[in-house]
Amino acid sequence: MQIKMNDQTIEIFSGACVKDVLRKYSRAEWRLVKNDRKAVFDRHGHQVALDGELSGGEEFFIKSIELAKPQP
Amino acid sequence: MKNTMRTMIGTRLLPLLLLAVFGLSSCASLPPAPADTRIVIFHSNDVHGKIDNYAKVAAIIAAERKSGVEVFYFCAGDNFTGNPVIDQYVPPGEPMLELLNRLGLDLLCPGNHEFDFGLENLKKFAARARFPFVCANIQAGDLLPLLRPSVVLKTGSGIRIAVFGLIQIEAGNGLPSTHPDKVKGLVFSEPLAKAREYKMLRAGNHVLIGLTHLGYEDDLRLARQMPELDLIIGAHSHTRVDPAETVNGVLVAQAGSDNKFLGRVELLVRGGRVVEKKGGLIELNGPMAEDAEVKDMIARFNRNPAFAKIIVTAPLAIAGKEALGSLMTDAMCHVHGLDIAFQNGGGIRLNRLPQQITIKDIYTLDPFGNQVVEIAMTPAEIRGLIKNSFEKGGNIDLQVSGISYVVRTDAARQIKEISLSAADGAPLDENRQFKVGISSYVTSAYDFAHHDPGRSLQSTTAEALIRYLQSGVDLNVYRDVRRAFWEKITDQPRP
Repeated sequence: MQIKMNDQTIEIFSGACVKDVLRKYSRAEWRLVKNDRKAVFDRHGHQVALDGELSGGEEFFIKSIELAKPQP
Repeated sequence: MKNTMRTMIGTRLLPLLLLAVFGLSSCASLPPAPADTRIVIFHSNDVHGKIDNYAKVAAIIAAERKSGVEVFYFCAGDNFTGNPVIDQYVPPGEPMLELLNRLGLDLLCPGNHEFDFGLENLKKFAARARFPFVCANIQAGDLLPLLRPSVVLKTGSGIRIAVFGLIQIEAGNGLPSTHPDKVKGLVFSEPLAKAREYKMLRAGNHVLIGLTHLGYEDDLRLARQMPELDLIIGAHSHTRVDPAETVNGVLVAQAGSDNKFLGRVELLVRGGRVVEKKGGLIELNGPMAEDAEVKDMIARFNRNPAFAKIIVTAPLAIAGKEALGSLMTDAMCHVHGLDIAFQNGGGIRLNRLPQQITIKDIYTLDPFGNQVVEIAMTPAEIRGLIKNSFEKGGNIDLQVSGISYVVRTDAARQIKEISLSAADGAPLDENRQFKVGISSYVTSAYDFAHHDPGRSLQSTTAEALIRYLQSGVDLNVYRDVRRAFWEKITDQPRP
């Protein structure tokens, strides 16, 4: 199935989770997310967990945790 | 104890239900509702065996019930798979059943991982559950007799809350994301199409809810196609929806995953319809009141005696990456009927298994919860995988089953050749595709070309090893085993 991560299309095995797509997209970004310096958000701006299950065509973005917080 | 007098009407036979609903809508009006009724629905999803925060959940729900409002607790599925201590319980998932019963769960929509321990186990689980299973797009017949497409809950004040369930199916095989053998005999239909049949529930009830295990994107599609709904409580995509979103007039909620959050939706019913609704998440990973009895249950479950159970007494202590990697890859091939399997060195977290091997030892050896992924690969693609693995550290990384391989490099570790041999030593057929098993980690973290994207077999590498050891295999073969070799070749001066 195809998933978009930061506007880049990633071909990934069926049954993959968010973390699988993230690792395939970028090992460096994967480490930042694993260490809670960044997080993955869906196209509606909601944070998703690394074990989140996927369906083809979904779209995600990696953001730093600070930037993702709502502004006061 | 629940503080409301509630009744539940199951709707196992949809045609009869629809008749009844048509009757209600055409001949009878809804029973008069009290002036104002405030309803709080707590919800969890994708807990995946992470039980530690349930003592907090119990305390929060108990406090709300004491406040006098009508309180319900729903679960949108995927209670199993994700915590070996719970998953390896005998019977599997037992702690989840006891805890959900104790918490007074009102409804469960099964998720794809509810099927991971097989139908027989789920049937026993459902029989002992003090809450109904609700899912409209599963035709189960006798296989899951306690499953209902929808239910109507009634509050003590007479409010009728209709809830139908929906489970996701994969585009390819039309089945939920679990091993196909686990759902043999069940018939699944497309969830959003099935949902349309339940619009009629609007007429006979004050509140209409979809309790779904579809993922957030499909929950939004459901909201757009079905404004008759007051609320969708979702799951599967592990999305932290905080606050809950209103889409096409429908409130859409989901509470992340792993019991890190408890969802809380509040509805105000006035004049027989929902006039106010809002939802948000309560973060559970902080200090807060806990229910002492539930805390004791959790401590008991975390001491799972099955974890210390000896699976097998081996004739030797299997030691070294080659032997352990060969054991792990043989397990993948044996359990999943694969031709070839690979295991990366970094995923082998012990140097030695003791002779008396316990389940705990297996999860210490292989703690990451990686899935087995099956990919159809040619020998050329297999060489690409081995090449990338060797170049990561300039050494042999992948242990293997089904074949052996030799990486030949020059003195500077530049690869000159990779030769592959079948188990009998013969060269591999270059024109054949092989069923190759690789962990989900290697599949996504290693850079290699493969025409087939692959598919998760919905089972972890550790589970394969446990099943392999339980099968009574001769472990003497792991006394001295080596299947992956590195040879340095030097350019001989020409005579």
